Amino acid sequence: MTDLLVKNAYVIDPLSGIRGEIMDIAIRDGKIVEDTGSGAPVIDAGGCLTFPGGIDSHSHVCGTKVNFGRYMSPEDMRAGRTARKGVMRVTSGYSVPTTFGNSYRYSTMGYTTVLEGAMAPLEARHTHEEFTATPHQDMLANTLFDGNWAIMEAVRDKDVKRAAAIVAWTLDAVKGFAIKLTNPGGTEAWGWGKDVHSVRDEVPYFGVTPAEIIETMIRANELLNLPHSVHIHCNNLGVPGNYQTTLDTIDLAPDLNRNRQSLYLTHVQFHSYGGSTWRDISSKSEDIARAVNSRPQVAIDMGQIMFGRTTTMTADGPMEWKLYMLHHNKWSNHDVELETGSGIIPVYYGRKSLVNCVMWAIGLELALLINDPWQCMLATDNPNGAPFVKYPEIIALLMSSRYRDIERSAIDPRTEHYVPLFAIDRELDWYDIAVMTRAAQAKALGIERIGKGHLAEGAEADIAIYPLKPDELDPAADYQQVMAGFAKTRYTIKRGRVVARNGEVVVEGANSTIWSRADVPPEYDLNRDAEFVKKFEQYYTVRMRNYPVQDIYLPRGYFISTEASL
Amino acid sequence: MRVTLKTRARAKPRIPIEAETIIPQNFLQKNDVRVYEGNKERKLEDIFFITIEGPAVSPDQVEIVLTGDTGVIKRVGEYMNAGRIIVEGDIGMHCGNFMSAGEIIIRGNADSWLGREMRGGLIRCEGNAAHYCGAGYRGEKRGMRGGTLEVLGNAGDFTAEYLCSGEVHIHGNCGDLPGVEMRGGVLTIGGDCTRPCGNMTGGTCRIFGAAHQFLPTFRRNGTEDVEYNGKRCRMAAFRGDVANRGKGTVLVRED
Repeated sequence: MTDLLVKNAYVIDPLSGIRGEIMDIAIRDGKIVEDTGSGAPVIDAGGCLTFPGGIDSHSHVCGTKVNFGRYMSPEDMRAGRTARKGVMRVTSGYSVPTTFGNSYRYSTMGYTTVLEGAMAPLEARHTHEEFTATPHQDMLANTLFDGNWAIMEAVRDKDVKRAAAIVAWTLDAVKGFAIKLTNPGGTEAWGWGKDVHSVRDEVPYFGVTPAEIIETMIRANELLNLPHSVHIHCNNLGVPGNYQTTLDTIDLAPDLNRNRQSLYLTHVQFHSYGGSTWRDISSKSEDIARAVNSRPQVAIDMGQIMFGRTTTMTADGPMEWKLYMLHHNKWSNHDVELETGSGIIPVYYGRKSLVNCVMWAIGLELALLINDPWQCMLATDNPNGAPFVKYPEIIALLMSSRYRDIERSAIDPRTEHYVPLFAIDRELDWYDIAVMTRAAQAKALGIERIGKGHLAEGAEADIAIYPLKPDELDPAADYQQVMAGFAKTRYTIKRGRVVARNGEVVVEGANSTIWSRADVPPEYDLNRDAEFVKKFEQYYTVRMRNYPVQDIYLPRGYFISTEASL
Repeated sequence: MRVTLKTRARAKPRIPIEAETIIPQNFLQKNDVRVYEGNKERKLEDIFFITIEGPAVSPDQVEIVLTGDTGVIKRVGEYMNAGRIIVEGDIGMHCGNFMSAGEIIIRGNADSWLGREMRGGLIRCEGNAAHYCGAGYRGEKRGMRGGTLEVLGNAGDFTAEYLCSGEVHIHGNCGDLPGVEMRGGVLTIGGDCTRPCGNMTGGTCRIFGAAHQFLPTFRRNGTEDVEYNGKRCRMAAFRGDVANRGKGTVLVRED
């Protein structure tokens, strides 16, 4: 039995409705409890800001494409090198660091749960192996269904229940957490050298449209009662004028779930461009924010970009090809048979580039214009917009309009003609930041039910204590301190154990991998479905019995079980 | 100020020493300079006998002299931005990486990656240099960006790969593929080489010996007269690499 008592913490816990109270937190065996026995070790938080452990709801840190980003950017590996120290292993890399580098850096920022944004089902083993080597965070994997042939056939036949059965079987086989649609239909079209340019474009051969795929998957997701909603990366990423596609996608989302959104749109910054070419690109964040404000059934994350060097990686193959045509640098393109694709290229976002400055402004505008912080989460689509180590800077920008004005003088002066950012004087407060970095994520991912993202009794004891005193600090003026504070916790506590202290990792860590399992009636069990089995054996280069990820790949697997309403 | 570092006898003398901390700016004040021996962190005085003579108020006035068994010391002068380093013998890999100003003089031979991605300053190697002399780092688009690198002896393969700006001068021969992926700057080779300048897009490469296995993707562009070592040489001029729509110039001695 291990006890721990955190005293004098200035707690903000939005899911429990605590908006800044000095209180004590008692921990026993990795859970929050009413009271510990006497003699429990005590941590004195000294009135410092205390949040539930951070949750990143969209990040690319593990899996084949991340690893390929490492292969193709040896120059990235010389940045961010740290030597072995105590239990800390050697780390290297900046935008695509080693798995331990990712884990340690998240830990020192107070993050305890991370969702990998895209896992190709066929390559799930690699993702799970890297999850095991990301020791400090509980990991979840969004599973790609955007170009899945079986799904496309179900969509063509307008058979939602069959789509649900395929999702249930696949998630169980690859130990995935939720449905991810990356450029739905577009990645399949890319296999034919084409792309889709609106939600009503037809996918070659299958004759279905992205809109049909999205609608079917949302309904299938709700039939399975999965914890998270459909997680979508809209069509036309990074194309000037693409905000219309994003609005059309938002319009497709029905309100089907009382507890959370029905559609999660990721990295919306990349999907909020007006204009028709790179020359007249402008911000359409106001239109997107209006659409989100009027629809409680959608939630988004910012996809903020920050200036500097990074690596873009996505399952959206055609989009990476367009980026390659702009940069003519290294490029990787990959096809995952019958399922999806991917592409990777390194990029540099510069303050001298008007396009990059507009992109930078759009991300911030989304966060400031969306009234309800529960609907807009803080993320950079790590590492596409920026490596996650930039989160503290983003927090400071959101909390201080003075800091935004200082940045304004450093970027391309034409930017203000294309974006409304500098006319917005909203400054977020500590509560909004607590929502945008953990509570909203927990709710959107549906993991508050397993005790993530809050500090109520019985919750997992994942706690981040930042060296910031909200009573003494004015974030609008002291943005430098805010930045430094969020970059390095005083204590990061993971399941009742201190894992990082003042920026130094102190234990080896042992995470768990969370996946979802929907129990379907036997007639929807695809292992017994002769047609599915026949097609699987016919089309795939692997045997169906070799396809599922064995338990050995998840040494500490944990599943959320749901009952499907089929 | 003159800092003399003489290597001490070590139990395992072949274990390399990672010494990116040996740069003039670190000796200005009495800093705790540490180096790695293999994977063990060591104090500088555990590896070297240190003698310090004279004062200094800026890093420009600091001169570091390395003597003894210096061939296993790597990364000396990495990120150096002022002052002077003199190596009395050989030097290990990665000497003068990313240096932006100052001077490094090597009396012996240099191992691979001498002056990799140099940005400015001067490196002069009086012996031979190994592979990747004045080259870029793997994966990086631009290599050496400024400064002067001179080798009095021969150099190995991939000399001045990804050269972007600045000057590389090899008095002796080069190995295979010097100046590949060049995009600017001047590469001068006093002796022979093989397959020079593949995929170059800009800059000038001058070869005063023989260029063996010259690539067919360069277009002949007349002749030019160049003065080298006080002699006038007639050079065949080439433009290329045509395969990469390059606009580089390669001059190869004709007479």
